[in-house]
Amino acid sequence: MADASKDRVLSGVHFMLGNYAAVEGALSAGCTFFAGYPITPANEISERMSQRLPRLGGAFVQGEDELASIYACAGASLAGAKAMTATASAGYNYMQEGLGYCYTIEAPVVVLDVQRARGENFASQADVMQMRWGASGDFEAIVVCPSSVQELYDYTIWAFNLAEEYRNPVIIMSETTIALMRERLDIPPADQIAVVNRRYTALPPEQYLPFKADRFGCPDAAPLGEGYHTIYSLNPHDEKGSIDWDPDEFDRLYKRVCGKIYENRHKICRTEPYLLDDAEYALVAYGSEARVAKEAARLAREEGIKVGVLKLCNVWPVPVEPILEVCKHVGKVFTVEMNMGKYCVEVERIAGGKCETGRITKNRGQVHTPAEILSALREGIR
Amino acid sequence: MKYPLQISLCGFGGQGIVLSSVILGTAVVTKGGLYAVQTQSYGSEARGGQCQAELIVDERPVASPVSDDKDILVCMFQDAYNRYVPTVKKDGMLVIDPDLVTNPDRNIACTYAVPATEMAVELGNRMAANMVMLGFLSESTGILKLDDLKDVVADHVSERFRELNMKAIDAGAGFAKDNGFYRRQAG
Repeated sequence: MADASKDRVLSGVHFMLGNYAAVEGALSAGCTFFAGYPITPANEISERMSQRLPRLGGAFVQGEDELASIYACAGASLAGAKAMTATASAGYNYMQEGLGYCYTIEAPVVVLDVQRARGENFASQADVMQMRWGASGDFEAIVVCPSSVQELYDYTIWAFNLAEEYRNPVIIMSETTIALMRERLDIPPADQIAVVNRRYTALPPEQYLPFKADRFGCPDAAPLGEGYHTIYSLNPHDEKGSIDWDPDEFDRLYKRVCGKIYENRHKICRTEPYLLDDAEYALVAYGSEARVAKEAARLAREEGIKVGVLKLCNVWPVPVEPILEVCKHVGKVFTVEMNMGKYCVEVERIAGGKCETGRITKNRGQVHTPAEILSALREGIR
Repeated sequence: MKYPLQISLCGFGGQGIVLSSVILGTAVVTKGGLYAVQTQSYGSEARGGQCQAELIVDERPVASPVSDDKDILVCMFQDAYNRYVPTVKKDGMLVIDPDLVTNPDRNIACTYAVPATEMAVELGNRMAANMVMLGFLSESTGILKLDDLKDVVADHVSERFRELNMKAIDAGAGFAKDNGFYRRQAG
């Protein structure tokens, strides 16, 4: 099997397009199924998947639309595949119904959304709320937000692992900025990549309950075609999977489905502090804005402004405690984002008066420059 | 070499501007062990229209993917020159193809005219002008070794054009050498 892993994991140093790096991350994580519908700036993902996946024994499907693609992923996932789809803002709109189904039936799928402006490939982070709140019903989303080509690779592996660990859809929040950028990518040897696989039940079919789990836990999956019969319903269901409208069943199901993510957020969330130790001000940033914020902080320190950055590696579930910790130690926290001001509401909620808050926002189809952030920072601390 | 190094190549669609930046980036990363970020902007036309590709090279991971001022700008089209020449640093290096940039009106001390398209035509195919430019950049700036450049080009272009491309790279490097055109760095 050494040769198979060599083809699957392209270990070495590359200069690679962001969209391709996401594909390589998916393959390194063991992706075996991809379905998608064309849309820029995500097309290079489908293109490379269609070339790479069949040669590795996986299946590539071009769906007739986005909805068909996400449902194909749901089906493939229930059949045991590690499934992925990719789209861009407008296409992500169409996927919400199928995505809501995946949340409720607890199907691990990975959805990559390259955010763009309406109609063209301009840079944007305007869909940060839709990532979380797009589908109807009660659920918790896991949304990771890479800031570079390397992180598009690394976080795609992380996304597949989280999807399996928590039996939940995981969204990779990409952006035009990094999707169409080429950058250095270091792919480690295959045996150094941690991969989480599906957890199957040890019980025989007659004893197996497909939606039975601890209070905030995930049920074990059942292998398809071996006598385990499960209804995967979007409606409220009991531990057997039967549709059940009993208020207590509602309560148990939705508390568990939300709790398995939210109550485990300490294990899920990742943040990266940058120059925060002695900081008097902090920038909270995610995605491509995080790398520019770091550069701005470095420049600000040259002028004697003690500022640090909290980079969010995932935006949902909200890394409440790390953000709160920063708020307790600085005078003012600024949220930096490429939209009219969305995630800042979360940061301001967490700050809760412990420190002042400010917004450094931009929606001009371009990522902030370090100079723009620096100038807004100077203005904001006067 | 002083890093980060901000390089921009511009011209019109079909000249191989984006490919040149990809080759340059691939060479400095996979052969030179450096870090680089490459981005591009171009019109929706398959041929024609302005085209620009940017490359930031550094010894450590590149923080900001966008740069305001360029250390090196290569221009292969007057319209692109007009648009992008204000982005060159005063002490930066400007390289133009004099047959395609006929009115270079900004005074950058380190400006070199490299007749890449004419040289490529002499070699038999004007499409190799971008390779002449890459050969010139390799010799005049030292950002990458000529052999590394050739290895990467061999990986990126069809076998059919390999010999032509190698000749074009040598011609560009030879042009820098013969004229003593080397990048002058401030400080």
